Amino acid sequence: MTESFVSIRNLYKIFGNNAPAMVSYAKAGMHKKDMLQAHGHVLGLRDINVEIKQGEITVIMGLSGSGKSTLIRHLNRLVDPTAGEVIVNGTDIMKLDRARLQQLRRTQMSMVFQKFALLPHETVLRNAGMPCSVRGDGRAKTDETARKWLSRVGLAGSEGLYPHQLSGGMQQRVGLARALTSNSELMLMDEAYSALDPLIRSSMQDLLLELQKDLQKTVVFITHDLDEALKLADHLVILKDGEIVQQGEPQYILLNPADPYIEDFVSDINRARVLRVRSVMEKTIVEDDGYEVLDGDETLERAILRSHGAADKSFAVHSDGTRVGILKMTDVLKALVPTAATGRNHSSD
Amino acid sequence: MSAYEKAFDSLGLRSWCDAGAIGGPMSMDDLLAKAGAAGTDQTEFFPFPSLDVLHKACGAFPRTRDMTAGLERLFLDVKDPVKVVLDPVTQPLSWALRNAIDLMQSLPWWAAILILVAIAHFAGRRTGVTIFVLVVFLVLAFIDHFGYAMQTLAIIMVCTFICVLFGVPIGIAMSRSNRLERWLTPFLDLLQTLPTFVYLIPLIFLFSVTEPKLYGIAIILYAIVPSIRLTNLGIRLVDKDVLEAGEAFGMTSWQKLYRVQLPLALPNIMAGINQTIMLSLSMVVIASLVSAPGLGTLVLRGINKLELGVGLVAGLGIVLLAIVLDRVSRAALQRVNKMHQSRT
Repeated sequence: MTESFVSIRNLYKIFGNNAPAMVSYAKAGMHKKDMLQAHGHVLGLRDINVEIKQGEITVIMGLSGSGKSTLIRHLNRLVDPTAGEVIVNGTDIMKLDRARLQQLRRTQMSMVFQKFALLPHETVLRNAGMPCSVRGDGRAKTDETARKWLSRVGLAGSEGLYPHQLSGGMQQRVGLARALTSNSELMLMDEAYSALDPLIRSSMQDLLLELQKDLQKTVVFITHDLDEALKLADHLVILKDGEIVQQGEPQYILLNPADPYIEDFVSDINRARVLRVRSVMEKTIVEDDGYEVLDGDETLERAILRSHGAADKSFAVHSDGTRVGILKMTDVLKALVPTAATGRNHSSD
Repeated sequence: MSAYEKAFDSLGLRSWCDAGAIGGPMSMDDLLAKAGAAGTDQTEFFPFPSLDVLHKACGAFPRTRDMTAGLERLFLDVKDPVKVVLDPVTQPLSWALRNAIDLMQSLPWWAAILILVAIAHFAGRRTGVTIFVLVVFLVLAFIDHFGYAMQTLAIIMVCTFICVLFGVPIGIAMSRSNRLERWLTPFLDLLQTLPTFVYLIPLIFLFSVTEPKLYGIAIILYAIVPSIRLTNLGIRLVDKDVLEAGEAFGMTSWQKLYRVQLPLALPNIMAGINQTIMLSLSMVVIASLVSAPGLGTLVLRGINKLELGVGLVAGLGIVLLAIVLDRVSRAALQRVNKMHQSRT
């Protein structure tokens, strides 16, 4: 399997005047609400452990106030943890001095922001080239790199414009190009698409996936939108009140919610569009011909379309040209109904 | 005998009072009493003793006028050592003012107008403003006030330049340190609220009235405040997201300053400079009291010699100059603002 590029271990973040003293309470099992009531400190993050794998998109999802933006800012130390460690590519970033931290930010990581955060007085080209010019690269080299990535995100020809002359979606493309120009392995995306309207958001998601196919960056993506999370995530982390409720492969979480909170969360999802054939199929390599062939990465929606609504049909599921299982339409129909959280009798609906 | 006198007696302080009795010149009250005028005791009655009342009861207490005289003596005593430091430091200001005034007056009128109109054009890039500037200077020339206006303008230019030179860095320092902001703010408040005439009093003591730096310092002290304040404010108001982006891409604090903070604060800094220019103009008129040349001297003549027409026309000239300076600097500000309208 792939290596961890970033490891977050036993991370605690507490806001307040006497934060370090509060860690022991949090470690002893105190939660956000109790800590605010008993000690007047805000528990931002509690015992976070995440392995972020190289070349994958890790999505951290949670509602506002769940600590997701705080968490992503620990990865480049825009926020310092109260306790715990963050290891990026083998270095414990808490042990870095100012100069080495700046070096790390310049070479190893880039960031895309919810409100774009472009420099309003600089052209699109200069904005996209910002990571290079900050690093001290020459003008010609900077412009060349910036030009390349701008055309890659579909902004060729807009180099001379200023950010305010672009729409929100195009501004965020500049933000994306800026992150890519830095040519760093880790890309942090803090609610990068939350400020965009749905259609543009969807096309930006496609752009990210398409880029990811070629570039294989390590992406950490923050969102409050479950649809977006499920579309992008290789690994999904769900945060609530500063704690991880569940993490794992998104398909698995959808089919096996660990907690009523997640169950509520996933109940509104269009499951047919999100679930993949491979997650629902019966794993078997029995040769049984006569079935139509379906790719394992297709969605259930696609399978239903192919079956023309027939509930008794079955498909042979292939992945990379070899047979991996059988999909029965009855299983498809069952999978469309939300699953109750494990260990809890779900009686509603 | 007043009650206070008895109080000193009963406390056994009489001998101390008499020993420390301060003579000094008589107060106006004493003089009037001696002349036998009516209403000798003009001191109002307060439920607590004032300095003058206490002095009457006990000579060891100074009178109020002794206090002001003491302050004056103190000022005169420290004057010489202060001058040793202050004189050489401020000498370039005298030099700059003198040369600027000479330069503006030695230019032929058409060259001066050409240069000023060119400055207005390149700062504001607005045809209407440029034409207005041209018309104003031609009108000033037509009524033979051009030379005076040039003197005033030269002083304003030098003082504004120095205000920006010092004000912006001070504002930057202030934006970075909350403690400095806390300490500097009352001082800036003082500079802005102190009546403009009061500025001149210590300066007259310190410098000779023939030196341009006397009014130069007065103008700068008065006009520098908005440059400092608005630079500080502008940097503090810089969008936190953009600053964070700079941080996230590894900018040093120096890079953050000149690539993010200063450019984004520019609209506010420009507004501060606009204010500085307008305050310089208002102070340069007052400063004619201490030999600042320019339109202000005509206004002063109007007051001193009751030459009504001279004063009014010069006043009108100042207004025209103010409008020119304001419009040009504001046009420049609007140009900067337009570039910053990225936020939606």
